Amino acid sequence: MKKIQFEAKALNDQTLAYAAQELRVNKDFIELNIIEEKKSLLGLNKSYVVEAVVDFNVINDGIEYLKKILENMDIEAVIEGKLTGENHILFSIQAKENPILIGKNGKTLEAMQSLVKNYINLYTDEYYVVLIDIGGYKEQRKKQLEILATKTAMDVVKTKVSTKLGKMNAYERRVIHTKLSDWRDVTTVSEGEEPNRYVVISPSKK
Amino acid sequence: MAVNFEKLVLDLVTPLVIHPEDLLVKKFSEDENSITIQVLVNQEDLGRVIGKGGKIANAIRTIAYAAASKQGKKIKIDIDSFE
Repeated sequence: MKKIQFEAKALNDQTLAYAAQELRVNKDFIELNIIEEKKSLLGLNKSYVVEAVVDFNVINDGIEYLKKILENMDIEAVIEGKLTGENHILFSIQAKENPILIGKNGKTLEAMQSLVKNYINLYTDEYYVVLIDIGGYKEQRKKQLEILATKTAMDVVKTKVSTKLGKMNAYERRVIHTKLSDWRDVTTVSEGEEPNRYVVISPSKK
Repeated sequence: MAVNFEKLVLDLVTPLVIHPEDLLVKKFSEDENSITIQVLVNQEDLGRVIGKGGKIANAIRTIAYAAASKQGKKIKIDIDSFE
């Protein structure tokens, strides 16, 4: 959790603004607590030791953020969130209009994922990996990619000719690399520039 | 129900800024086929809202685009800061 301690003359909007500036987050997410009251010798000047805490729960606030997006898009959906390992969060969305949310080649899904990831990591001082799945799309896509990888690799072994796959994002390329990592007959390399990077499967040199 | 694009963009951007009091999201124009939304943020927040290589700005555009496609419209989002 992000927090700081400082001394202030009073608790007001300026104190909050200062805390927001220091913590670099929206002030609506900050909670101020008085830790200690200090008085000068004559008791004329009072000051406080204040603790400013970023009031944020990665799962709940992540779900709230997604919920708002979907409400504003006028899409009914059920959203679940869970930790799937140390600092790994998975949000699963089940909506009536899954295809709109996924977008062409998962573009909208990726956009939502990077926004939520960015949002969560702004408000925490640990680093979180955020994944979003919509209606099992990622799982299905992974299976398709693995089949594609295996089929293409078999062709490459047979013909001894390198083959380029279509453009893919980082996650998709990783699926291909991982799938073929234990094949001794082929090697895989990513080439090209984002967002047009692609995987090349070549026969291994003997 | 029609989608309120101003609110969609506002809700997307609000948690990203340090100065929500300087955040302004305004519909610039709308006709049958397209909508233009202007987003103004504090100078200090501009980098965060645009993101590295425009990553965040493009993500916001992609989501707004998906919402607009339900109504068969195109949406354009301009992001700028106060001088």
